[in-house]
Amino acid sequence: MALLPDLPKGGFVFENFQRNEFLKAKGFRAPKATKTGTTIVGCLVKDGVILGADTRATSGSVIADKYSDKIHYMAKNIYCCGAGTAADTLYVTRMVSSNLELHRLNTNRVVPVICALRMLKQHLFRYQGYVSAALVLAGVDEDGAHLYSVTPHGSSDKLPFTTMGSGSLAAMAVFETRWKPNMTIEEGKKLVRDSVAAGIFNDLGSGNNIDMCIITRDGVDYMRPYEEANLKGQRLNSYVFDKGATPILTVHTIPLEVEEVMVRHMDETMDTSA
Amino acid sequence: MSIMNYNGGVVIAMKGKDCVAIATDTRLGVRSLTLTTDFPKVFQMGPTLFLGLPGLATDTMTVYQRLRFRLNMYELRENKRVRPQVFTSMVSNLLYERRFGPYFVEPVVAGLDKDGTPYIASMDLIGSYQEPEDICVAGTCSEQAYGMAEALWEKDMDADKLFEAISQSLMNACDRDAISGQGAIVHIVEKNKITTKTLKMRMD
Amino acid sequence: MSSERYSFSLTTFSPSGKLVQIEYALSAVAAGAPSVGIKASNGVVLATEKKHKSILYDEHSIFKMEPITDHIGMIYSGMGPDYRILVKRARKLAQKYYLMYNEPISTSQLVQKVAYIMQEYTQSGGVRPFGVSLLVAGWDSDRPHLFQCDPSGAYFAWKATALGRNHTNGKSFLEKRYSEELELEDAIHTAILTLKEGFEGQMTADNIEIAICNAQGFKRLTPAEVKDYLANVN
Repeated sequence: MALLPDLPKGGFVFENFQRNEFLKAKGFRAPKATKTGTTIVGCLVKDGVILGADTRATSGSVIADKYSDKIHYMAKNIYCCGAGTAADTLYVTRMVSSNLELHRLNTNRVVPVICALRMLKQHLFRYQGYVSAALVLAGVDEDGAHLYSVTPHGSSDKLPFTTMGSGSLAAMAVFETRWKPNMTIEEGKKLVRDSVAAGIFNDLGSGNNIDMCIITRDGVDYMRPYEEANLKGQRLNSYVFDKGATPILTVHTIPLEVEEVMVRHMDETMDTSA
Repeated sequence: MSIMNYNGGVVIAMKGKDCVAIATDTRLGVRSLTLTTDFPKVFQMGPTLFLGLPGLATDTMTVYQRLRFRLNMYELRENKRVRPQVFTSMVSNLLYERRFGPYFVEPVVAGLDKDGTPYIASMDLIGSYQEPEDICVAGTCSEQAYGMAEALWEKDMDADKLFEAISQSLMNACDRDAISGQGAIVHIVEKNKITTKTLKMRMD
Repeated sequence: MSSERYSFSLTTFSPSGKLVQIEYALSAVAAGAPSVGIKASNGVVLATEKKHKSILYDEHSIFKMEPITDHIGMIYSGMGPDYRILVKRARKLAQKYYLMYNEPISTSQLVQKVAYIMQEYTQSGGVRPFGVSLLVAGWDSDRPHLFQCDPSGAYFAWKATALGRNHTNGKSFLEKRYSEELELEDAIHTAILTLKEGFEGQMTADNIEIAICNAQGFKRLTPAEVKDYLANVN
């Protein structure tokens, strides 16, 4: 209805699609988007659920981000790990998180984890796998702790432990040998750490730190980083150039002046005439 | 060939102590043919906010204009300057709207927050962004520039040291890339002033 | 399709230049349950009357105070069903803003957007104006905010105000009681006293609703908390 809309309408825009297809036909390859690479894991324990993730994002073979955040906030009681195209994992979790908040406000209750799962998989299914996000969803609600994995095409599993991403095989090997039911949180933390570490050290798409998020009925413990699996070596020499080393052609300086100083005096008496 | 290598160009941003720097080369070409050496890919979006848009030159200009429009509307509507973090989110949203028909740019944001805190961010062509504590690099010689910047960057550099680090990173990266370089512009943003320097570079 | 061509806005200017539908909407507001908003130095209080016609009514299942985001909430005088439409729209707008800018919406921006919607309903075909005035309380930029939104789409920033039945008496009461140094606890007290002006019958925790908004966010007070405040007033 809006007479004067000011924010862009929702939904994707396809105005560049034809041009980009034309360029592709001419032999100009489209650039690669940032991928998470990723080892993400989730594990149910006695009193809750634990999520773990590495922090490497890659673009081809270049590490695009060393400290990427792969455990996304969904709601106060729900978090979600993302693997696949970095932008897709970010935006799909953000959009669903926003819808969960609306759902919480409109229903006036703690949102069940299954709601988040349905919203995620319905979105992913609608886009037929083109929104490439593989997710590990975990949360605690009235019925206890839940752990799900979601594929980019929108299918899902309800599992006691799960892994996703390029490092999922290495991580799953650890879970398969050592997982047992009703672990304590401390046992769970150790297992999740070792599982993500297996991904970090055996899969080149995963690396750097280990993030962890423990969700229980009492609240959330988000540890970023939980452990710095790879410390950067101490630099022995400084490579700082002396001032004036770079030849300069022109210098232009714009001084920044104080734009506005606002002082509010609150002592005038109120106008009560009206 | 990737479409990102059609026109050439590179942008680097670095964080210093109470300052940020953002540098761009000035070449515009069509593959190996240089058209002009007056095409910087960095734009000033606010008193202490800069945006770098390396990539396909036509998209550099379109994305800049679209963002300028959205930013002007934001600032008129809210009657305040945009925060760098909010601006990053605007850029990211613009790119992700075109998830299935992207603009071929890899934006870099650099600026100071209202309280003078340095901020840099970079993103891929569909809006996945990172906000690192050290350096941001994008463009045709980004791999060379990563190597240079990783080696030269140190924590808490002052404005002078930061300028040397970012300039040397850019110049030496461009020297190993045929389609970047031929002039460079460096902006150093401090709380009380912005210094813009043009560098003397190889013109081959 | 063809019916749209002949339907036009109910809000058509009268020869004297008035939009009588909007004035009728304001009458609906003035006949509605009273609500009060007071901005204190460290927060905002909203209070409203919630009287029920029958003792069979379950008092604590449906609320009039509604949170919009963590730091903004509203209350209304006028027609409940119309209000809930606006609450839903406001929440959506707030979320849309958050997704776009990765920053919570400011109270003034939200009020502007909601007022925009209310204005649209005075200029569009096939609709009628909203029969509500809103009081919006928020906390952002490290200070409290209090706004009123009318059916016409006009909005005002207040230090303190009253809406609905008896609002003129409520306002003059607030004008006498208000001071800039007011703290939230005192403001809650004053809000209850303002509601008490012209309150018919006994005021209890079951027939009023109170919410506060401060640096910790927007919060509806529980009946037990309201009871404590009422005990202090009496």
